[in-house]
Amino acid sequence: MSQPAIVAAPPESDLPGPYEVGGYAARLKQELQKFARVQLVGEVWGLRSSRARVYFELRDARGALPCSMWSSDFETLGLTLSDGMKVVVGGGCDYYPGSGSSSPSFTFAVSELRIAGEGDLLVQLERLRRRLHADGLFEPQKRLARPLLPRTIGVVTGESGKARDDVLAGLQRRGWAGRLVWAFVPVQDRQAAPRIATALRDLAAMPEVEVVIVARGGGSLADLFAFCDEALCRTVALLRVPVISSVGHHTDRTLIDDVAAVCCSTPTHAAEAAVPIDCTAARADLLAAGRRLNVHSRRAIVERVRTLERLAAAPTQHIARHRRQLHQLLRELRASARRAVRDGRSRSGVHAAALERTVERARGSERTARARELQRLALALAAHDPQRTLARGYALVEDRAGDPVTSSAAARAAHDVRVRFHDDVIDAEVK
Amino acid sequence: MSTAEPAPTYEAAVTRIEEIIRRLDSGQAGLRETLALVKEGRDLVEYCAGELDAVGQGLEELRLDDLVARLEGTQGARSDA
Repeated sequence: MSQPAIVAAPPESDLPGPYEVGGYAARLKQELQKFARVQLVGEVWGLRSSRARVYFELRDARGALPCSMWSSDFETLGLTLSDGMKVVVGGGCDYYPGSGSSSPSFTFAVSELRIAGEGDLLVQLERLRRRLHADGLFEPQKRLARPLLPRTIGVVTGESGKARDDVLAGLQRRGWAGRLVWAFVPVQDRQAAPRIATALRDLAAMPEVEVVIVARGGGSLADLFAFCDEALCRTVALLRVPVISSVGHHTDRTLIDDVAAVCCSTPTHAAEAAVPIDCTAARADLLAAGRRLNVHSRRAIVERVRTLERLAAAPTQHIARHRRQLHQLLRELRASARRAVRDGRSRSGVHAAALERTVERARGSERTARARELQRLALALAAHDPQRTLARGYALVEDRAGDPVTSSAAARAAHDVRVRFHDDVIDAEVK
Repeated sequence: MSTAEPAPTYEAAVTRIEEIIRRLDSGQAGLRETLALVKEGRDLVEYCAGELDAVGQGLEELRLDDLVARLEGTQGARSDA
């Protein structure tokens, strides 16, 4: 490599200094030590020990920190650490400034160390849950349409776990016997989450897979932590097929349960959720539907034929009905006429008798009245009867012709007269 | 769905069959409509029966690893060719 012939002078800088590096390193150490002492949680990696100190890295998905602890303090704990173990450490930042013969190094000086408990994991879990929720990753799976009767189902589970048998039992309970694609993966160790995510992606890439079950039996939260992996959850949330999760028991809720389309308490329930219908009952329903269609098909023709027949016969029936009605009316009319004649006759007889009685009554009273009148007239006549007058001693003078002689002159003129007494008539001569 | 074409999914077919039977049960469909609905319903019943048969013939279990390996083998052979 050729060197430049002329080395340019360094440009003037506005920055303070230059300082001696040793002094600066010592100052840096002081500044770092001012950082607040805290607890950190992460996985142990690269554990190694020297005579005086134990070194390891504390990692999680988003970063790492070099840690060190005095060997004497570490031995006091009596712990056996291995790579991947989740721990909580307490301590603060420290810096070894190095020297002319030794390299500087940064470290998180650990004074406390314990295996991470469920409480620590829950705090972590809750934080991640909030982040996934804020990113809207709980919804996409729930918006996917789930088939009622999938032909092919993918299942992600451990090969030797009981979950496998439970899934089969659930499908059998539904009467489902289609195609199952098993993706057997580790479900617990550090490699579990990426393997599960890969299996899910591979299953989703198969067009015939319509729904995927992710199943694992119960365990401690630490055992189930693979199903809370952020990368895995993001993968599940964005899959094209609905994922039905059944991880642990219903008391544990992993993050995959939150992002999945459906979360079930057991693998058996997950299988039943993957096939929402009972195939045996569905066959019976289908058979019933087929029968109903046949009934409607038959009825559509037969009933209409019957209706047409009924309509065709209607005019004749109508006329016959009217004829019957007319006959009936005629019979009623005749009977009514007979009744009217009979009743009229009867009424006439009654009237005639009443009339006769009235006439008789009238006749009797008239006869009596006339008799009385006659008697009255007779009495009146008798009162004027000259005979009665004659009986009282008077005498009637008549001429020969029988006419009364009412004056003496007439008597003289007549000369011969007859004198009527009440008992006889004698002839007399006027002188 | 308003024609007698095969339903795209089992659930859509079942829903349509239920609609058809409700319409027929109502007694409001005329002769021509009844016959058309019966034909459509029968086609859908046949489709659903086919779907049920497909998941009733016996469980077929495959392993994803085998499928992936087979697929990779096929792609490898194709690229070699």
